[in-house]
Amino acid sequence: MSTFVDEKPTQELEAFKGVKKVPHEEYYTSGHRTCQGCESAQIMKLMAKAAGPRTIVLGSTGCMYVANTSYYATPWGVPWMHTQLGSSGSSALGAAAAFRVQMRKGVMKDEPINVIAFCGDGGGADMGLGAISATMCHPDYNLLILMYDNESYANTDIQISGTSPYGVNTSFSTPGKVKRIMNHRWKKNMAPLMLVGHPTVKYVGTISTSYPLQAMNSVRKALSIGGPTFIHCLNPCPKGWDFDPVLSFELGELAVNTGIWPLYEVENGKLKLYGKTEQIANGRFKRLPVRDYLLKQGRFAHFIDEDIDYFQSKIDDMWNKWLVPGIIPLQKDIETAE
Amino acid sequence: MGQLFAVEVIYRGVFQKTLAKNITRDIVLAAHNEGKLGISFGRYGDAPERNGIPAKSFAIVAKDEQTLEAGMAQYEPKQVDLTVVLDDTLCKGTESWAWYGLQPVHHALKPGHTLIVVSRDDAPGLLKNIHRREEPYKLGILKGITSFSGMWVFKDDHTDVRVLGAIAKALPELFSLESVEQFITEKLKNPLKVTSARNAYERFGTTDVKPGQGNPEELFKFTKPDWEDMRGGVSIKGQPQGGPYADPTTGKVGGFRPARNELFKKYSTRTQRPVINFSTCTKCTLCWLNCPDASFDVTPDGTYDANLAACCGCGICEEVCPVKDCVHMVNESEFHGNDSQWAAFKKDKDAYLKWLETTIEKAEPIEKRSHGFRYRGQYQEQVPEALEIAKKG
Amino acid sequence: MATLTIPVEQKKKGSEQEALITGAEAIAIACKLANVDVVTAYPIRPYDTVMQYISQLVADGEMDCEYIVAEGEHSQFEIVKHASACGARTFCGSSGVGWMYAMEALTVTPALRIPLVAMVGNRALDDPGAFGVEHNDALAVRDLGWMLTWVDSAQEALDTALIAYRVAEDRRIFVPLAISCDGAFLTHSQALVQIPSKEQVKKFLPAYNRGDLLLHPDNVISVAPQVNEDWVMEIRRQNFGVTEIACDVIREVYADFEKTFGRKYGNPFFEEYMTEDAEVVLLGMGTLSTPVKVAIRKMREQGKKVGFVRLRWFRPFAGKEIGKCLERFKAIGVLDRDFSFGSPDLSGVVATEVRSAMYSNSATRPPVIGFIGGLGGREVTVPDVEAATEIIFQAAKGKAQPLTQWIGLRG
Repeated sequence: MSTFVDEKPTQELEAFKGVKKVPHEEYYTSGHRTCQGCESAQIMKLMAKAAGPRTIVLGSTGCMYVANTSYYATPWGVPWMHTQLGSSGSSALGAAAAFRVQMRKGVMKDEPINVIAFCGDGGGADMGLGAISATMCHPDYNLLILMYDNESYANTDIQISGTSPYGVNTSFSTPGKVKRIMNHRWKKNMAPLMLVGHPTVKYVGTISTSYPLQAMNSVRKALSIGGPTFIHCLNPCPKGWDFDPVLSFELGELAVNTGIWPLYEVENGKLKLYGKTEQIANGRFKRLPVRDYLLKQGRFAHFIDEDIDYFQSKIDDMWNKWLVPGIIPLQKDIETAE
Repeated sequence: MGQLFAVEVIYRGVFQKTLAKNITRDIVLAAHNEGKLGISFGRYGDAPERNGIPAKSFAIVAKDEQTLEAGMAQYEPKQVDLTVVLDDTLCKGTESWAWYGLQPVHHALKPGHTLIVVSRDDAPGLLKNIHRREEPYKLGILKGITSFSGMWVFKDDHTDVRVLGAIAKALPELFSLESVEQFITEKLKNPLKVTSARNAYERFGTTDVKPGQGNPEELFKFTKPDWEDMRGGVSIKGQPQGGPYADPTTGKVGGFRPARNELFKKYSTRTQRPVINFSTCTKCTLCWLNCPDASFDVTPDGTYDANLAACCGCGICEEVCPVKDCVHMVNESEFHGNDSQWAAFKKDKDAYLKWLETTIEKAEPIEKRSHGFRYRGQYQEQVPEALEIAKKG
Repeated sequence: MATLTIPVEQKKKGSEQEALITGAEAIAIACKLANVDVVTAYPIRPYDTVMQYISQLVADGEMDCEYIVAEGEHSQFEIVKHASACGARTFCGSSGVGWMYAMEALTVTPALRIPLVAMVGNRALDDPGAFGVEHNDALAVRDLGWMLTWVDSAQEALDTALIAYRVAEDRRIFVPLAISCDGAFLTHSQALVQIPSKEQVKKFLPAYNRGDLLLHPDNVISVAPQVNEDWVMEIRRQNFGVTEIACDVIREVYADFEKTFGRKYGNPFFEEYMTEDAEVVLLGMGTLSTPVKVAIRKMREQGKKVGFVRLRWFRPFAGKEIGKCLERFKAIGVLDRDFSFGSPDLSGVVATEVRSAMYSNSATRPPVIGFIGGLGGREVTVPDVEAATEIIFQAAKGKAQPLTQWIGLRG
């Protein structure tokens, strides 16, 4: 009686066992007006490829809407529908509910259909946070919310969002003669928020386009496990972050190797760390200094040592002081009341 | 009504955004020194700009307000008195958000007027790319390397004032060199820039382009449907699946070529293209897997051919390829057309590999990919070099 | 806690059943009869009793639908919007500022050609906080492509809900439709209603068929890609095309309704009460019809020749019909249970639209006086109506009157 969840079967999407086993079919193809080297477009491609043809995608407003489907054209080879900036959570829920009831009533062929809603960090961490949170509590509906994080409202020409790094230069946080640092906020912990705040969510993961195989397999796992799921992807953005696209991979790796972006997934409450994140966690790899990552990007060109040191100290705290490094910001010593 | 001047600046989105904006603003302010009024604006439909995607900026100038009004409340002037192209690879035509299909660079240029291109190439070289048209015009080259910078950091290498100098020579009715120098002295407060402007003015010359002279390529077009023919509910058909295709020489079918968007091809975004050595390829999949634009066709051999109608020249493939010189980014000005490299390789392997070698060798360097910010202080190093090249003229 | 239908008696009227229910419950029952697929709920008074009724129907197995409680009205309407895009028949609703909170979702639904059926329990926009009826909430979407109708009885609420699904889901229409029910007087007052049978409804209401707009893996489309100034006019023109034929579709559906259920509404767009020999006429929407009719009967006994036109459909606004109807009267008084601050002549929304309709469609130019009253649930009383009628009689005699007047106001 404790699990009164009425889940429908999902597709069984096994992990791709290596890059050569990745299928050739593209469900997100060329012709989109994204920047050269757009890693957010890259995760769209990987996500669609990982999900396959029995999928519908809801795309909330952002670069992956405007740049992808600009000018009344589309790169999508699966059904796609635009939704409002703050509606990734609600649109996924509506689609999942519609399929479920029509299949139950026998007016639609009963089969598992992947429902994926994507949001940028603006649409997900800011405006749409409430809707995503609500959707995460509905255990009966199978869906995936994928947040592509380029650490800004990129489509409106780069402004800070809830996941923008401390001190970053954007058109709403411009360094000037009197104020060098306009953005005092620290990046929101979105994946842990979904995980800790919604105890029945079966899968939450963080991914990076620098690790495409793991990214695709994370999507496949989220679509297979059942219930609402959440994936947070870090996407280096050559325009907003101001770097040469050839650096996209390097920056994705540096984000992980400096400990800024931990790679992990939580499946039914079990935490698994990936790659360098795992090695950092058990002391086998020393985190690179954040300076190596920050100074490769024009958006931090105004940083002075004081800013870099502060940034470093926050990352150090994350790894040295947190109960679960990179994930749960509670102090390690838990006090008990007398 | 008096004379209305319109100047357009065609540039690479984001990389030359600040430069283009500065130029069109400077035009208005320089003309103002002669008592003229003006407005400057970027084409609204090009915003938000995206790396490399062609965009336009405009300056509209008139002697009086009433004349100026004829050029206001529009997204772009239908005809311009002068066109400035800030990156010579744009001469292959532009496909931007505000235009459907491929647009030649001189599309809006009035007959007999001047097209200024920043380039190290010469007129015959550029005319291999610039499409032919029925009306004559003048082609002027402003010698220099393409000035690229990023979103937040601007490379101040004097390209802006050199363009002003060239404009003063090409269109003296708009403003004189004296007005330009006055503007630079008063507003930019930089005597070195005055010299640059003057040098550019003195060195600038044009060649006449006759009707029908230039690139004979047919530009791809797109006709917009009427409202009754549009699908309802703001919906359009999605992309179909691609499939295997035939080896052009053996006829063997295999591989996978994805369906590609018919309406927006993106190749005019390129300033460089990957040339691929199919004989050293280890079929690791990484270029194909990591291309954000799904530009690679999987060939029937299992190698990967960058489809040049789709490739936008980001260079990620070169970066992730584990084999030395298997994928090599080469300056786009070396090439004409978008024919498949793999098809050429299959037709004559030795000739292709020879072509590959010589192309990489003789191609203009890509200036350490000078757009984007590799490390703090990067532009400070690049500016003196850029000025050197400009000084040589 | 809402209590469900208590059948007063089994009437052998066709296969209908009679019950004592509120307007909200009537609509809940209509949703059940219409076999709605997805319902989203969020609490705000006074519409939300409809959602309480539906919850009970679902729990008791009388209705098979996905019943989702959203975390806000914006999500509420986004959920049903996308559910409808995926082929589900949906029901949603709100009141007052809740409806406003959903505004972004409401705005885009007509262009997407999504036939939502929603109930608006008209409520004052608060602050200033009040739960009573005001029509500005539903009226806020009047330019956007929504169809809007006002009902004044629980019976009409039920019937109109069935009609709404048929009209909205007609492929020629395919735009969302809101049924407005005055808060308290209609949402919370129990009246006798004939409830049709499931078989009758099945005959009247075909299944929702989204055709080639359906979002499903078998139909690879992209819905609502980004467009620019090259496309928006044409897209809007398509919605304009809907408005050109909307009145015809409504007429067809009402005729079919009468055939199936035996209940006759006559002219779908407005009800005329004692207008045959009237000299002046009052016009309004919703439950103010009741005190108006009581007042008119009283005035008729005094020999005053006054009638009443109750507007049912606000969008589409049957301008030709209204113009032709009103041109024969010597003066018209429009009772607006809404405000439109700063409008021409400072009148409410309905008065302004009536004047506009008459300008183009009436052969005569009788004075149209706008009366603003009943805001925030204040009762429209018989003395209010009599006072207003006296004013329009003066206008009819040629004595100039202020074009906008407030009734039932202190001070």
